[in-house]
Amino acid sequence: MKEQERSPKMIHDVLVIGGGIAGEEASLNLAHMGFTVLLVEKDYSIGGKMIHLSKVFPTLDCSACISTPKMSETSRHPNIKIMTYSEAREIKKSKGLFEGKILKKPRYVDEDSCTGCQLCEEVCPVVVPDQYQYNLVGRKAVYIPFSVALPKLAALDIDSCIRCGACEKACPAGSIDFSQEPEEIPFQVKAIILATGYNLFDARKKADYHFGQFKNVIHAMQMERQLVPTRPYNNVLRPGDGRIPDNIAYVLCTGSRDKSVGNPICSQVCCMYSIKQAQLVMGALPMADVTIYYIDIRSFGKGFEEFYQQTASMGVEFVKGKIAQIEEKENGNLILHYEDIENGGKPVTAEHDMVVLAVGLTANSGITAEFINQEIALDPFDYIKPKDRIVNPALTSAEGVFAAGTATGPMDIPDTILSAGDASAEAASYIRRLE
Amino acid sequence: MKINPQFSLDIKKYGGMDLNACFNCGSCTAICPLSTAESSFPRKMVRASVLGLEDKINCSLDPWLCFYCGECSETCPKEADPGGLMMALRRYLTSLYDWTGLSKKFYTSHAWEFGAIALVSLLVITLFALFLPPTADPTGLLNQEGGVKINSFVEGMEGEQFVGIIDIGDWVMGGIISLFLLSNIFNMFRKVLWRDKNLKIPLYLYLQEAWNLFFHFATQISFSKCRDKGYWVFHWLLMSGYTLMFTCIVILLPWFQTEKVHPFFHPQRLIGYYATFGILLATVLWSVQRLKKSQEKHRYSHITDWLFLILLFLTALTGILVHLFRINGMIYPTYYTYVVHMAILVPMLVIEVPFSKWTHLAYRPVAIYLHHLKNSALELAQKQQK
Repeated sequence: MKEQERSPKMIHDVLVIGGGIAGEEASLNLAHMGFTVLLVEKDYSIGGKMIHLSKVFPTLDCSACISTPKMSETSRHPNIKIMTYSEAREIKKSKGLFEGKILKKPRYVDEDSCTGCQLCEEVCPVVVPDQYQYNLVGRKAVYIPFSVALPKLAALDIDSCIRCGACEKACPAGSIDFSQEPEEIPFQVKAIILATGYNLFDARKKADYHFGQFKNVIHAMQMERQLVPTRPYNNVLRPGDGRIPDNIAYVLCTGSRDKSVGNPICSQVCCMYSIKQAQLVMGALPMADVTIYYIDIRSFGKGFEEFYQQTASMGVEFVKGKIAQIEEKENGNLILHYEDIENGGKPVTAEHDMVVLAVGLTANSGITAEFINQEIALDPFDYIKPKDRIVNPALTSAEGVFAAGTATGPMDIPDTILSAGDASAEAASYIRRLE
Repeated sequence: MKINPQFSLDIKKYGGMDLNACFNCGSCTAICPLSTAESSFPRKMVRASVLGLEDKINCSLDPWLCFYCGECSETCPKEADPGGLMMALRRYLTSLYDWTGLSKKFYTSHAWEFGAIALVSLLVITLFALFLPPTADPTGLLNQEGGVKINSFVEGMEGEQFVGIIDIGDWVMGGIISLFLLSNIFNMFRKVLWRDKNLKIPLYLYLQEAWNLFFHFATQISFSKCRDKGYWVFHWLLMSGYTLMFTCIVILLPWFQTEKVHPFFHPQRLIGYYATFGILLATVLWSVQRLKKSQEKHRYSHITDWLFLILLFLTALTGILVHLFRINGMIYPTYYTYVVHMAILVPMLVIEVPFSKWTHLAYRPVAIYLHHLKNSALELAQKQQK
């Protein structure tokens, strides 16, 4: 650990924790108003989950096309300082100001000299599953996280690195630095916005679906990656044997509205993203059949119901009945068990060659434990609890701490933007009152 | 179709859980290894119970076709416990078939259940105290093997006199139990089969399908379709042990309760040991599981579930104690344990067999028989239409 005296204290108006679409939106709003923002992102790049999506419902806008402008504007704004691969620690309120440390984790690549040329990536002999492609393909131990990563810098994954030194020799800028260590930099801000987003439900918890065991059972983010322009296989393929699937099933409410796996609430987006993916699959694989198994279709937003009706009239089959269990045949096809509720309620099975689990959202609110003398209240599902969900949805139980986006509960992208706007406005008004 | 909004509350008295939580996803029916296209459950029963469709529930056999492996409740995303509801519906139907109304009292009131057991128990003890007291002179009560002459330890009785009295008592008790149980089964026929006037069942079908009754009673083969096969084995051990013992003590008592202590490998002793082993093993195992609550089907215990296990366990325990005291020549312990044994056994049989949890021994195979009978009759009707 480097001595703290060497790192001068960072003084900003607002600390925004989380560099996804909510964090970016909130940061930009505040920066435009003239406040200085410190944006801390735990991952190598800002962009959050949205940058990895194909298209967004119900407009079918290209997700990357509408989120990259926000990303680059955030990174170029003079009032915003971005710290990636960093985490906020030991946050304390004293005399109306928040103080704490930013833990800057070692990237083992010098951020100032790296040009993102990818020569290191070419020579690296190690291949491990690529988390940004949701393990569909491999990546190197030293790598550019993804094509539109921001900052576009290499990062070295020390856990899978074999320390052969090939990257060090190949790097023309001499940016590989194995001697980097974690650094703690103190900060002082007037307000904090928590925009830590959500986690995907771990589909392995729903044991009857055998995710991770049956190769042709994938989760929706994996399907999403197969539908983007930067998709790993350049086509939609089933992972088991690389065949093009022609009979795809969507299993809704995987890990949502399910007490038996510990998440009794609706994730709000799975119905719509599955319907959207069904449309995209029909575009990518015109001959494929798509069936969506649902408990209820919740298409509650503006234009959502029309989008659902349009998808149904395009030929996507909607079947009422929650999938109880999945079995695998020798050829990799899957047998789905459900009750055919709308046709007399018989227990039936259906065969599909690929199954997409519409995984739900779960809370990602671990940051609240870093508040030393403040309590950030959580709801029963571990999302950050708004002070008043009706009239003050962006206020948390601690004064000066605000929450934006899915940190407060499941919501879609338009709602996230609204929520981030609310949080930034509340933060601005709070700071003005403080002055 | 009439609805009864009160039903979903009433069924809670029989042990039903929060069925209004159900959002009709069908996971329970889809995961159930016993649910079929002809009789699809438990979701439909949950739905019928929520709405209180008594006409539908009262004539349904589905609760009896469920063997409560608990998978539906484990998989239920709302934790509405459909398996528990099927159990509660079995209790409800038992009360419905029982024309005396006692069953309902026993299932829904602790006072009635415990009161009735205590009453019968006291009656047995009183009868022994008044009419069958122990002999004051224990000389000559040991036979040549050193065991107690069990038929002579009552004051003033010798030889086969005592066992004769108990045997008559057994036949009277057996007659009363059969009267109630058979009339309740008749009621079941009436509610399930004969209320549908359109269903024509030729007499030969009753005979043709009758093998189901005996086959399913003896093998309990439906259990084998549940994922946990171990449960089938233990349940079968208990059932076969109980049935053998019931036959020995109610029908073959003079053969079973002899002055002479037979050698170890005599069938009389082997049957006794087998039955005791089966009953003790299963009751202890399930009591532990009900206490641990690790398995879904043992998570919620109705008072009658506990009474069933405890009375059965105590009956087997006192039974084997009578035997052990007897072969070791301990005269008074044999007598008093015998009285205690009777004071547990008689209320268990009189209360449980026709009115409470034991009824499932009869209702389950009868229900499977009726189910096959109904399906065959429907098939026949379809053929005739063509």
